[in-house]
Amino acid sequence: MRSTQFDLSGKRVLVTGGTGFIGGRLVERLVLEHKADVRVLVRNFARAPRIARFPIEMVQGDVTRPGDVERAVSGCEVVFHCAYGNQGNREMQRLVNVEGTRNVLAAALHARVKRVVYLSTLMVYGTTPDGDLDEVAPRRYSGNIYADSKLDAERIAFDYIEKHGLSVAILQPTAVYGPFAPVWAVDVLQRLKTEHVILVNGGDGLCNAVYIDDAVSAILLAAVKESAVGEAFLISGEQPVTWRDFYGGYARMLGTAEMVSVSAAELLKAHYAQKRRKTKGILRETLSILREDPLIRERLLRTPEVVLLTKAGRSLLPKPIRQSLKRRIGSNSRTSRPQVASEREKPLRPMSPPTVQFYAAKTRVRIGKAKRMLGYQPAFDLESGMRLTEQWARWANLL
Amino acid sequence: MNKLKLAIVGCGAITQGIHLPVTALSNQVEVTVLVDKFLPRAHELADKYGVPVVADEYREIIGKADAAIVSLPNYLHAPVTIDLLQHEVHVLVEKPMALKTSNCDEMIEAASNTGAVLAVGLVRRFYGSSQFVKQIVENGLLGNILGFDLREGIIFRWAVASDSMFRKEAAGGGVLVDIGPHALDLLLWWLGGYTSVEYYDDAMGGVEADCELHLRLQCGASGVVELSRTRNLRNSWIIRGERGTLEVGTGFNPLIRLKTKNRDVVLAGRVARDGVADKTIQDVFRRQFDDFVDAILSHREPFVPGQEGRRAVELVETCYALRQPSKQPWMFLEGPRHGALESALP
Ligand SMILES: NC(=O)c1ccc[n+]([C@@H]2O[C@H](COP(=O)([O-])OP(=O)(O)OC[C@H]3O[C@@H](n4cnc5c(N)ncnc54)[C@H](OP(=O)(O)O)[C@@H]3O)[C@@H](O)[C@H]2O)c1
Ligand SMILES: NC(=O)c1ccc[n+]([C@@H]2O[C@H](COP(=O)([O-])OP(=O)(O)OC[C@H]3O[C@@H](n4cnc5c(N)ncnc54)[C@H](O)[C@@H]3O)[C@@H](O)[C@H]2O)c1
Repeated sequence: MRSTQFDLSGKRVLVTGGTGFIGGRLVERLVLEHKADVRVLVRNFARAPRIARFPIEMVQGDVTRPGDVERAVSGCEVVFHCAYGNQGNREMQRLVNVEGTRNVLAAALHARVKRVVYLSTLMVYGTTPDGDLDEVAPRRYSGNIYADSKLDAERIAFDYIEKHGLSVAILQPTAVYGPFAPVWAVDVLQRLKTEHVILVNGGDGLCNAVYIDDAVSAILLAAVKESAVGEAFLISGEQPVTWRDFYGGYARMLGTAEMVSVSAAELLKAHYAQKRRKTKGILRETLSILREDPLIRERLLRTPEVVLLTKAGRSLLPKPIRQSLKRRIGSNSRTSRPQVASEREKPLRPMSPPTVQFYAAKTRVRIGKAKRMLGYQPAFDLESGMRLTEQWARWANLL
Repeated sequence: MNKLKLAIVGCGAITQGIHLPVTALSNQVEVTVLVDKFLPRAHELADKYGVPVVADEYREIIGKADAAIVSLPNYLHAPVTIDLLQHEVHVLVEKPMALKTSNCDEMIEAASNTGAVLAVGLVRRFYGSSQFVKQIVENGLLGNILGFDLREGIIFRWAVASDSMFRKEAAGGGVLVDIGPHALDLLLWWLGGYTSVEYYDDAMGGVEADCELHLRLQCGASGVVELSRTRNLRNSWIIRGERGTLEVGTGFNPLIRLKTKNRDVVLAGRVARDGVADKTIQDVFRRQFDDFVDAILSHREPFVPGQEGRRAVELVETCYALRQPSKQPWMFLEGPRHGALESALP
């Protein structure tokens, strides 16, 4: 395969979403390992300190503005499209994910870019069933704005491959964690600090996680391997782990954080019971937005209002379930560290049926295709990935 | 009495958010010229504040202004200030005073040759809390100072109008040259000069986002200064003396906690002046500006003259000269394939 691979060194490449988690790490490795000439599309300079540590070029712009994207793409041989709608309402997210991707692909075609690597997601397969999952599984809409708009964007990417012959490689990462991960590190730690995290079915469900550097290695391979063109690849760690182990890794970093096991059936019962109860419209709406999308939650969680709302959410759980949870939280404390008062104060957050399903599923994402065609080989297991994540989290003052 | 004619050179975030609102309220000055190479911004602000003249070249203020605030990207502080001082324009220059000590010397010399006032915008010296700490330490309330610890960092969100802060040639560096002048100036002002420093940062050909200094001071105290643009840190100073410990927040009008040695008694509160605390950060900048104006009118040294501004520049310059890479194990993958670090370093 070596012969059909080109070298990134000295090549001008564009990274969209370079001020974010995955794009940010990609920029670091493009500079350090590949000595590429990196340009980043920056929407807001205030988010640039991490990438500004490197000798890169920053072009101000927004993926939703075609002119900005054309300026940024012009003169680049490879485009890594990592930007996605991480804020705003549904329309705004859709605009960034769908139209933003269309703008990037159109500009790449126009500028005769040699390769586009587009970051899709496992979530384009919708609610995944138990058992093995690979790239031949059907893509499905799930009603989740993030997943559905990413699916539409992926379809546009396939269109550009088929109709215009654009050289696009598509990656579908699972849960990407590691230093600076907004959802699968910062948010998880924040939740463990501020609420009793519920482990659905004791955390027996499977977590298909991939350490950031493995995901970035796959992105880099997709940029240089000829065999990547026109294909989509699931990118995950070597083996799934349980959610118990994944959350447990973070709980251990914090020392005192406790989690509570609740069966999927109980959670669904609680959800429907709560739905029947009359609550003030606005509060319920806010709660449902909160619950809907872990990506939105990450941003919302930082505001004090949300802490109040999640507290309010606890009182929405039917009393018997609340009491049974309380007993379990209490009994847990025998096996863990002495309980501090604040542990008892932590709220429980109700879970929506899709979230329950997400955590209960025992899907095993297969990465055979990426291994075969890209030469992808994950280098991190959960233990080694978490070790680095912990060192970072301590430094980042998150523990 | 005729009002002092003031020019503001550089119409970016700090001018829009602070300098214009503050100077507009002064009844001793009249803002007569706004300068920015990006004219639309200057025009917009001139319209808003009724400033009669707009220019895209600082030299146009010569003859039109008695005094100027220089709030340009860092690399322009020294050349513009020197030129203005040589034309007898009084200057309040934003921090950092300059990027090199030798430039500071030239600025100081230009001021003394013409008698124009040179004030340095180290605004934190005007915080009531900073002056309170200075007095506590000077009066010996803490006894001999043994150690200090500053952790200052927030996930960056200053609404910069350009990328000049992130370009090495324009900014001269990253967080050290940005927050460092404020922090290190207070350290040297409160506790006196340093004898040695070790410096670590995470720049790899660009500007550092995080840095750490290990310092030893002439007074015998040693400690750490950690600055960050990517992390929310403790954001306070802890100063430990023989008789007690003082903790003071780094922000505006911070909480101060004083703890006496071996006692669990803590005094906590905020500093007030004649019973009144500052309400906004503008109040503090107003004191800085009033001091500058008063220095001009009464022919005296400003509260932070060039000699004082120079000290932090000297320490920043020394740090960059002694720079060592920070240890961030998650940054570098192991194995020969990933060993590109050394050659990537500047
Ligand atoms: N993290 C995961 O677990 C995961 C899993 C599967 C797939 N993915 C995919 O991986 C990609 C990167 O995700 P991430 O975790 O790195 O996200 P992230 O940290 O939230 O970064 C998102 C990036 O997109 C940028 N962006 C958002 N709207 C933009 C716009 N209108 N114009 C230009 N840039 C815009 C953001 O800029 P600002 O910095 O200004 O906000 C930021 O740089 C996404 O496509 C995501 O779908 C992620
Ligand atoms: N005292 C404080 O707490 C504080 C806070 C923020 C900034 N600052 C200092 O103020 C200065 C400006 O910072 P900012 O945040 O406003 O930056 P900014 O990037 O927002 O603004 C810089 C402005 O200078 C203009 N400019 C650049 N080159 C020019 C030239 N040759 N001639 C005329 N105009 C030119 C730019 O167009 C821009 O409007 C910096 O030195 C910074 O360190 C101090």
